[in-house]
Amino acid sequence: MLLGNVNRHLNILDYALGSLWRNRFKNCGVLLVFSLVIFIIASFRLVTSSLDNSAEQVLSSVPDITVQKMTAGRQDVVQRIDIAEIAGIFGISEIKPRIWGYYFDELNGANYTVIGDAAFDAREQLPGLAIDYRGTYGERAGVSPVVVGQSIITSKNLVVRNSFSLFRPDLSLKSFYLSGVFAETTSLVTSDLIVMGIEDAADLFGLADGELTDIIVSVANPTEIDTVARKISERIVGSRVITKQQIRKTYRAAFGWRSGFGLACLLGSIAAFIIFAWDKASGLSEEQRREVAILKAVGWQTTDVMSVRFWESVVISILAYVLGYLMASAHVLVFDGLLLKPVLLGWSVLNPPLSLLPVFHLSDLLLIFSISVLPYLAATIMPAWRSALVRPDSIV
Amino acid sequence: MITLESVHKWYNRGAPNAVHALDDISLFVQDNEAVCIQGPSGSGKSTLLSIIGCLFAPTSGTAIIHGKPLSRLPDRFLTLYRRETIGFIFQRFHLIPGLSVIANITIPLLPLGVSLSERRHRAERLLERLALSHRKDFDIAHISGGELQRAAIARALINEPPIIVADEPTAHLDEQLSNDFMSIIAELKADGKTILIASHDPLVGKHVAIDRCLSMRGGRLTEPER
Repeated sequence: MLLGNVNRHLNILDYALGSLWRNRFKNCGVLLVFSLVIFIIASFRLVTSSLDNSAEQVLSSVPDITVQKMTAGRQDVVQRIDIAEIAGIFGISEIKPRIWGYYFDELNGANYTVIGDAAFDAREQLPGLAIDYRGTYGERAGVSPVVVGQSIITSKNLVVRNSFSLFRPDLSLKSFYLSGVFAETTSLVTSDLIVMGIEDAADLFGLADGELTDIIVSVANPTEIDTVARKISERIVGSRVITKQQIRKTYRAAFGWRSGFGLACLLGSIAAFIIFAWDKASGLSEEQRREVAILKAVGWQTTDVMSVRFWESVVISILAYVLGYLMASAHVLVFDGLLLKPVLLGWSVLNPPLSLLPVFHLSDLLLIFSISVLPYLAATIMPAWRSALVRPDSIV
Repeated sequence: MITLESVHKWYNRGAPNAVHALDDISLFVQDNEAVCIQGPSGSGKSTLLSIIGCLFAPTSGTAIIHGKPLSRLPDRFLTLYRRETIGFIFQRFHLIPGLSVIANITIPLLPLGVSLSERRHRAERLLERLALSHRKDFDIAHISGGELQRAAIARALINEPPIIVADEPTAHLDEQLSNDFMSIIAELKADGKTILIASHDPLVGKHVAIDRCLSMRGGRLTEPER
């Protein structure tokens, strides 16, 4: 009984495959359009997960707590003496002053992110960020060392030369030499970054002695970060205290919003495809109606004919799913997400030269399966049932 | 045994285009009898065969085949009964284009869960008997009219049904092929099959394999011709 049932399904599957082959031109059209829809959805998910992954790697170097000062609802400078106010809080393992600002380069219309790090040393690795060091070539009096992101190399033409200058607010020039370049894997957040000593950053931005943009706090026990952050905000009046988790959420929200927006736009194309699939499955040609009538006349039940249509839909949708996902993987792995990366990263003057490394999650595979294959199968059930209702006597 | 009692069949009953296709038909066919139903086009021959072939139920009256009343059976059970009991040979053969001869012949076996090897075995035996073995893997678009006819017969016989129903089987064949067809019918009768053929071809009605001829006109059976 069971073997007969298995054989029945194998026979019907065999017949469905033959039927797909006989109508191969029509089915190839459906397969192609369906694969394209899945390709776009899967590409979105793969590029987004790659960006999430890259962001996650980079965010591991973000400080536990960043303290800033607010005046009249806008960010203001923090005084170095505020460090003493929070130094006694239990659980803090390290406190560092930092200057973080933006420099607009009028020559090429680009904004650079400038970080003045108190622990910056031209010869030492910055913790958590991969840097290719260029040595101390160009080191001389009055010229400060910097580590820059990949986009700065192109923007300031630093491929052949090793030094460059930026304007202070009073339009005098401050010169720098390149001591290192951030690795490409960190480009998502370091692409437009220039890191220098804190005194050099204060000099570049024209800050007064003892003025900072933020204070960086490390906490020994990660579970205590929120508690320490609350205590800091109580001690420094008018402070804005940002934890690592909040920064992570902001990054995720930025990429998640773009990805979500993209997927929302794609829902329209999925809906259009489902209507297309419905239409294709509904429009039985005279030849197909005759075939159904023959099958029923020689003893096939309505459910047998429906099974053929079901297996046809399963084969087409699974093939399209595999094909679409493989194309999406190739798009991200081989072509570096060429079509979607600009959409998800934004159109900055300094585009991060980031190589995507896709992360394959089972949940993503299931998500794409459930929003593409399952609706397709559902959309073809009703037309399959209607087509199976052709009466056997219609051929007599 | 096939018994029809006061069978009526209406198409579009109550509508302006209503057709009374069968009008009070009563008929009794014994096992292993070969009956030819003759009559002009539109006389109701195909409708009568469709009821006997379990393609649909009569509007009223009783149809009993092998002791089983089929008049009120739902489609699902009519189909089950049809595939076990009836082998249908259609006027235009109705083979499925794009499939090979052997694939067409074995189609009735697919929903029964018969394995591939068993299907091939049964089909090859029939093809050999019908002298069609050399064409078994040919697409049906590439075989002659007589071969199409024999493939259609093979498909009707693949389930080994006790009753063979043929609707105008020689309408598209020349005299030689029609004679060949009737020879096969004679063999099937010798095998013990019950045979009903609707045809207005005199060659069929006069063939020695036919036990009885019935005549139809305007949906009614008239006096037998011999």
